[in-house]
Order: sequence, then C-alpha cells, then structure tokens
Amino acid sequence: MNWQGELNKYLASAYKNWITSKRNIFTLFELFFWPMISLLSIGLLTRFLKVEGSMVSFLLVGAIALTILQVAQIDVAYVLLFDMWSKSIKNTFIAPIHSYHLVFGATLFGILRGSVVFFILAIVSRYLFGFDFQEGGLLPVLIFLAGVFATAAVIGIIVCISILTFGQKADVAAWSLSGMILLVSGIYYPVEVLPPLLQTLARAIPLTYFLEYYRSVFIPGPHHLAIGAFLAVFYLVLGLILFDRAIERARRTGILLRLSE
Amino acid sequence: MTKKPVEAKGICKRYKSFLESSTTVLQNISLDIEEGEIFGLLGPNGSGKTTLISIFSTLIYPEQGSLFILGMDARRDNGEIRKVINISTAKPNFPWSLTVQENLRHYGMLYGLYGSALSRTVGDQIDAFELGDFRDTKFENLSTGLKQRLSLAKAMLNHPRLLFLDEPTTGLDPDISIKTRMLIKRIHQEQNISVVLSTHYMPEAEMLCDRIAFLRKGQIVALDTPRNLKKHLGLGEKVVVSYEGPADIRALESMPGVLGVKAEKGRLEIMIDRNEDSLDRIIKLFCNARILDITIKEPDLEDVFLELAR
Ligand SMILES: Nc1ncnc2c1ncn2[C@@H]1O[C@H](COP(=O)(O)OP(=O)(O)O)[C@@H](O)[C@H]1O
Ligand SMILES: [Mg+2]
Repeated sequence: MNWQGELNKYLASAYKNWITSKRNIFTLFELFFWPMISLLSIGLLTRFLKVEGSMVSFLLVGAIALTILQVAQIDVAYVLLFDMWSKSIKNTFIAPIHSYHLVFGATLFGILRGSVVFFILAIVSRYLFGFDFQEGGLLPVLIFLAGVFATAAVIGIIVCISILTFGQKADVAAWSLSGMILLVSGIYYPVEVLPPLLQTLARAIPLTYFLEYYRSVFIPGPHHLAIGAFLAVFYLVLGLILFDRAIERARRTGILLRLSE
Repeated sequence: MTKKPVEAKGICKRYKSFLESSTTVLQNISLDIEEGEIFGLLGPNGSGKTTLISIFSTLIYPEQGSLFILGMDARRDNGEIRKVINISTAKPNFPWSLTVQENLRHYGMLYGLYGSALSRTVGDQIDAFELGDFRDTKFENLSTGLKQRLSLAKAMLNHPRLLFLDEPTTGLDPDISIKTRMLIKRIHQEQNISVVLSTHYMPEAEMLCDRIAFLRKGQIVALDTPRNLKKHLGLGEKVVVSYEGPADIRALESMPGVLGVKAEKGRLEIMIDRNEDSLDRIIKLFCNARILDITIKEPDLEDVFLELAR
C-alpha cells in the first residue's frame, strides 16, 4: 500500500469525528459554552479577589489549559466512544488497522478543536482581563499547546484502554482522570502547595512542566521543559503499545463482541 | 501451501468474565471450507454461530486449536488476513449520524482507499446495492433492510476473497429476506468469492449453501450438503394429513421427494423435499379418500437437535 492509502487509514477517525461532531449540537457546548464558563468564572474571581496582573495570567493560563485539555482529550476518547455508543466496534476492528491509526486521526481532530477553543479563549481573555497570551512570542504558545495536546492524547488513550478492558462503564471512571489533573498538575496553584505525595504525582504528569514553562513567560521562574517533553513522548509511545495490547486482549476475552451487542 | 478459505482444527472458545465462572462456547470445532463455496453455519440461538464467525474473521481469538484463513495463520498473520476478508455482522450497526455515503467513505478509508479509487469504490457499492436514493440518509434513519444492505456494501469495499455473513436476513421482512438472499447469490457468483454464512433458518441455508455445518451447543453435530442433511436428519418439511378412507402408503414411501413417512390410523406424517414437486403428487394420492386436515410444518431445528442429542 502506498503512502496515500496509509495516510487515509490515519485520517479515517478524524473524518468520522468531524462529521459526528458537526451534526451534534452538544459539541457546540463543548466548544463554546463550557470553555467560556470556566474562563469567565475564573476571570471574574480574579477581579473579585483583586488579584494583581501576573497572578491573573497565572490563573487564566490554568483555566485555558484545563479547558482545551478536556476538549482535545474527549476527541481522542470519542474514537472508541462513538463506536461503543453506536455498537459499530466490530466493523472498526475487522479492518486492517492498529491503535495508532485510530489515535492519530482522533488526536489531529482534537488538536483542531482545541486550537479553535484556545483562540477564542485567548481573544476573550485579552479583551476582558487584559491577558496577552503572546507576550513571549509565538513559540512558547506553540510549545505550551503541544504539551497540552500530548497530555490530552495520553488521557484519551487511557479512556480507550479502559473501555476495551472493563467495558461500557469504564468511560465514567476514566473521566475522573481530568479531575485528577486539575487537582495535582498545578492548574490553579503551584504544585509546591501540594502535600509531598501529590507533588511526586504532579512530577509524573507532563502538563505540570508545560504549565510551568508557559507561566515562566509571565512570571519568571524555573521550569524543566525537557522533562515534560520526555514524559509526554514516553507516555504516548507506552500508551499506544498498551492500547494495541488492550485490543489483542479484547480479542481474547471476547469483550469486543459484547461491546457491539 | 494450501489456499483453502478456512482450515480449522480443534477450535475451542471459552468466555471468561470477571468474578463469574467461564462458559465454554465452542468445543473442538474442526472444518475445512473449500474455495468458492458458500458454507453455512446452521444452529439455534446461542449455539455459537457468531462466536465461530468472529473467530474465523479474526475479530476474536480462540483458546485452542489451529486456524488458517486463506492459507495464512489466523494469529500470526491477522493483519494480512484482515486486508482480504470482510464481514457483515448480525444486526449491523454503524456510526449513527453518518450518512450511507459517509459511512462507506469512512470504512473505505480504514481499508486504505484514497482519492478517486475511494470515490469510485463507494459509488460502485452504492449502485450495486441500490442505495442511491439513500446516499445522504443518516444511518439512524435507515430501515432494517437498508441497514443490512449498507452492511453488505461495506463488506465489499475491500473486494474480499472471503466474506463472512452473520445472520444476513434475521429480522428482515420476508420479501426483503428473499431479495437479500438473491443479492448474496449474485455477489457470490459475480465476484467469485468464498462465503461463510450463519443462519438459524433451514430454508435459507438450503437455498444458499453448498455445504452446511450444524451447530449445537458449540459443537458440530453434522456437516454435509443440504440434500444429505435433509435426508439423514429429517430436515425436510413435514406434511401432516388427517383423512378418512383409503391411502396407498407404499406408493407414498417410494415417491421421489418423499424423505420419510410415519403412519398412524387416519393420520400420516410425511417428510418431504419441497424442491421436487412432491406436494402435488402427495395430494393426488388421496383422491379416493376424504381429507380432513392438512398442515405443512417447516423443519423445527430444535426437534432435530433433540433428535441428534440422543
Ligand atoms: N462476549 C461474551 N461473553 C460471554 N458469553 C458470551 C459472549 N458472547 C456470547 N456468549 C455466549 O456464548 C454462547 C454462544 O453465543 P453466540 O456465538 O452469539 O451464538 P449464536 O450466534 O449462535 O446465537 C451463548 O450462550 C452466549 O450467551
Ligand atoms: Mg449470533
């Protein structure tokens, strides 16, 4: 098979997610409603508490990161969730594909949606709260977004693996992962305020490092971007390997059939 | 190297679920399917047809046994196998909000089709399965028969050499079922492919299949041509006649198309093969008698299975 055919295998899930999303009114909520609510509520909170300039950017960066993380992560998870909800999972796994085909296309679409949300939130926060996301140039923004999207892809992969391992109800448990990220990876406060055990956990999450890096543009401080980048790549590769193994396992246990009933 | 579509030896499958004891669903299944044949898996609900088709199509893996699909090892070469097979599942389901055309495009992409070849293949399948009027209808708004047709169209996207059809007519209206069977026959002839088909409906297996394996509780209890199965297992239709007066039972027994006769006083149970115009001749035998009642019963697989189980 030539490269165009191979490319289309990667793009198939982006195509499916794109059409499903554009026909689904709730995706508009995911894109505009919830992101706006989380941004506005945090922004208004900073006004009420009379938070000074650099701390406002600290909090808004956190709110924006969490929001686009959630948008992009659900897109990756959708690749199996849509199949599970429509009971079409057999048709996907009878095709000659691997986990990375599915994840790539879905992540690509997640990046697209996440970027749209980021753009909207950045503009709104600039006009309402005077936060200039481009203060350090475009490169830090792109690196920061890459870190958020990589973390989102990892979470999405974990959701997919749990579906294939534990079945229908697993998605609920997996959503709590982004709650965990909110708690420990320094979204609204530096990880130093966490108890030691949670700090260790925070240091295992790539997003923590990317947040520190991007914030150092607004509030100079130390960051370890290289560790974050290494962790992100490590988790992505590990996640894809485990996803493929989860598919093989699902073929042994027969859960692949039960998910289509 | 042999190129038989399916070569299975000693296939066993158990479903293990968390905290529950495991259930054995297939036991020691061995069978070969020849190139170009339509092979039927016949059995009642729960007999393991879907499980066996899923194993043959590498959707799931067996616990034990060796399995070669088109000469390739089902476990080691499953990636290669998936390129040249396809399946239409029982009660087919596709992403709901995608239209017929979008669904076919999506699955075409998963098979590595692109550009004009993708558009052409999708268009060809839409034409072949007469889906043109529903091209832009979302899957959720299709009738059961159309869903089935879309599923068949999807199964032909990669021009498979081996096609699996799991209960292709279950749940369809009788007229649509007949149409679907014709369609399956046509695909088989035009594309010159091997087909494995499951059904719990004997007449369907008879109409479509060159050979039939009879599944019961996860075991093959018989494997033969439809004709021989009918003869040996009494799978023909049963005509029950109640009558007063004379009837030549001897003549009846030697009549072509009559597979067996059970006689009681004033009541005959005649096992027949409908294909051989036998009904007409049977009725004519009773011209000197007074017929009180005639019923024709389709073969009851459960009965046959009970018979076989003894
Ligand atoms: N994923 C599964 N987990 C556990 N048991 C299953 C699963 N799928 C099917 N079974 C059981 O296996 C048996 C055979 O099922 P199946 O292959 O679907 O039969 P058929 O297609 O002939 O109706 C049934 O008793 C069914 O309850
Ligand atoms: Mg079945």
